[in-house]
Amino acid sequence: MNTCEPIHRSPHPFGTIGVFVPSSGNLEAILAEAGSLAGVFNARLVLIHSGKKTLKLEAVLDEIRIRSEGRLQDTAIVRLDVVNSRSLLDICREHSVGLLILEAASREGMLRYYFGSLVRNLGRTAQCSLLLLPEPKRASTSFKNIIVRGISNPKTPFTIRTAISFAQHVGASEVTLVTELDQPGLTMATAFAGSADSTAMLKKQIASGEIKKIHAMIKHCQSDGIKIIEEIISGRQGYAIRQFSRKHHADLLVINSPDASYRLIDRVFTHDMEYILEDLPCSVLIVHSAIS
Amino acid sequence: MAKLTPNDFAVFLLAISTILILARLGAEFGKKIGLPIVTAEIAVGVLLGPTLLGNIAPRLYEHLFPFASNPRVSIALDGLFSLAVILLLFVAGLELQLGQVLRQGKTAIYTGFGSMALPFASGFAVSWLAPHWFGIDTSNRFQFSMFLGTAMSISALPVIARILLDLRIFRTRVGMVIIASAILNDLIGWLLFSFILSMGGPEKGLTNIGHTIAYITAFSVFMLVIGRMFLNRILPWVQTNLSWPGGVLSFSLGFCLLCAAFTESIHVHAILGAFIAGIAIGDSVHLREKAREIMHQFVTNFFAPLFFVSIGLKVNFIKNFDPVIVAIVLIVAFAGKVIGASAGARLGGMSRRNAMAVGFGLNARGAVEILLGSLAFDAGLITQPIFVALVIMALVTSITSAPLMLHFLREEREPD
Repeated sequence: MNTCEPIHRSPHPFGTIGVFVPSSGNLEAILAEAGSLAGVFNARLVLIHSGKKTLKLEAVLDEIRIRSEGRLQDTAIVRLDVVNSRSLLDICREHSVGLLILEAASREGMLRYYFGSLVRNLGRTAQCSLLLLPEPKRASTSFKNIIVRGISNPKTPFTIRTAISFAQHVGASEVTLVTELDQPGLTMATAFAGSADSTAMLKKQIASGEIKKIHAMIKHCQSDGIKIIEEIISGRQGYAIRQFSRKHHADLLVINSPDASYRLIDRVFTHDMEYILEDLPCSVLIVHSAIS
Repeated sequence: MAKLTPNDFAVFLLAISTILILARLGAEFGKKIGLPIVTAEIAVGVLLGPTLLGNIAPRLYEHLFPFASNPRVSIALDGLFSLAVILLLFVAGLELQLGQVLRQGKTAIYTGFGSMALPFASGFAVSWLAPHWFGIDTSNRFQFSMFLGTAMSISALPVIARILLDLRIFRTRVGMVIIASAILNDLIGWLLFSFILSMGGPEKGLTNIGHTIAYITAFSVFMLVIGRMFLNRILPWVQTNLSWPGGVLSFSLGFCLLCAAFTESIHVHAILGAFIAGIAIGDSVHLREKAREIMHQFVTNFFAPLFFVSIGLKVNFIKNFDPVIVAIVLIVAFAGKVIGASAGARLGGMSRRNAMAVGFGLNARGAVEILLGSLAFDAGLITQPIFVALVIMALVTSITSAPLMLHFLREEREPD
């Protein structure tokens, strides 16, 4: 069906959805969101929690099962003794979790951000797909306005397919594919040589080159009834799409998993995904790709 | 207070207007015959300077540019040229996005270090082992060797960016790696050069050299970490609450000069302050593209012609042309940069052809090398023949970069 060239995987490997419930989190809301998505994807739900398996947790899960009207049957509850990203990822691997849902503050305090919180660090390494929810709701978030980051990367077609599939499952009618144009050095190069007209022409040529790249990226992706809107924006990569998502009241921003783990230096000299993690503009789906 | 007389002031204004008008005419003519603007501006300086005008019409030359006979005008012009250098370094810094280096990952890191390490080592070794080739006083050998190493290892981001645009490979993997590596080259190169300028002679002693290193490191780290955080908070306020674009321009240029004054006051050259201020402001996501463009236009159309024409005014290019020094500088520059950068790119995982293209791409030294040479010449670090050789090397490497890159690139070019 969907045949985007570089990645040979199902577009939505969300057969098992994990949800991490920290002891201090918004238990009902995050479980409601996870339960709702597990129902939508007809997935197995794995609850990973750090506290004692309280009666409350069982009660909330029962309530979600009832609300899912039979769509959510297969669930498991796993307790984490040591809460860190490695143990959480081990559990995810053990249970073949395709999508891990986490509650994440939109912004973290400076120290917490630079030292790296559990949720952000998982995003920086992204060993499985992650859904970061800054405002989980008991009534479940509606993902109608979905934005996909369309950067030039072999992972991107898979991310686009996953976004399209996600949109179909959650009942969205369109996804917006946004490409950021950032050209370090261009201003100086054109200031030294070139008139305003030739510079404008040059920028237009670069933008049209990017449009061609996007078309090449999505030409094999069947949209299956989902309308794909293309947008090109100027600005620093990561920051530009963060601002765009906020301005356009996006419900979900879908991005590639990072090519390499992000470290402290990437937070000091912020770039790309780090701009998004620094200040989540909406819910963020980080699509983990395994390139064949 | 010593003041310029009305006549001095008239001569000062006449010199500036002559430079600006002829530089513009030269640049326009250069554009028509495919000559880079910087080359055309230097050519105008050579025509107006001791090489040509000073030879055929010495009285007219002396009247227009009375460097020898009128110290007041000479000081005023020198102040203006120094300001031009500071602002050129500031706009060079504006384009350096440090995140770009991290984004390109290990390929850019390997290429960046490869394209610095080998040229630096070869430049240092040649001048250390054979200072007589350059006619350098052996007591100053270490400082000169450090300088030649740095001069060989630096790249010219604006020229490189222009070449990549013309070849339509700006947005390709090769283009991005070249840009990221050039950013790394420029950052490390200017830090190193600030250190060399601040070293002074051998009499300065190891303790003072240690202090200089500590000052440069502390200032750079402070500005690039804490300073950037401060700017990220204040720039949005400046751009929303002050007049646009006047507010942000005054703030940015004022900030640049403040940093330049600070580094000068701690006996590190003013260029470091201006350069680091440029990086800190230019790296901020809050600086609007339009503001960046206005700053570039202001500097490149007023201060850059003044500076590049002044190069030709300083030196007699014919009298100081030494074919041996020119040949040595060219050979070391080409070999060190191309081999070092290509080896780094190969280690970073690029194909042989692409790695060679990266090597020739980074070989373009252009305006940045001339800036570096001019500062070293003003500081008495190099002689006139070496300065002439560096200018020639900068022009030759810039002109040959595109065709040599093209030779190795066939498939990387962007579609028309």
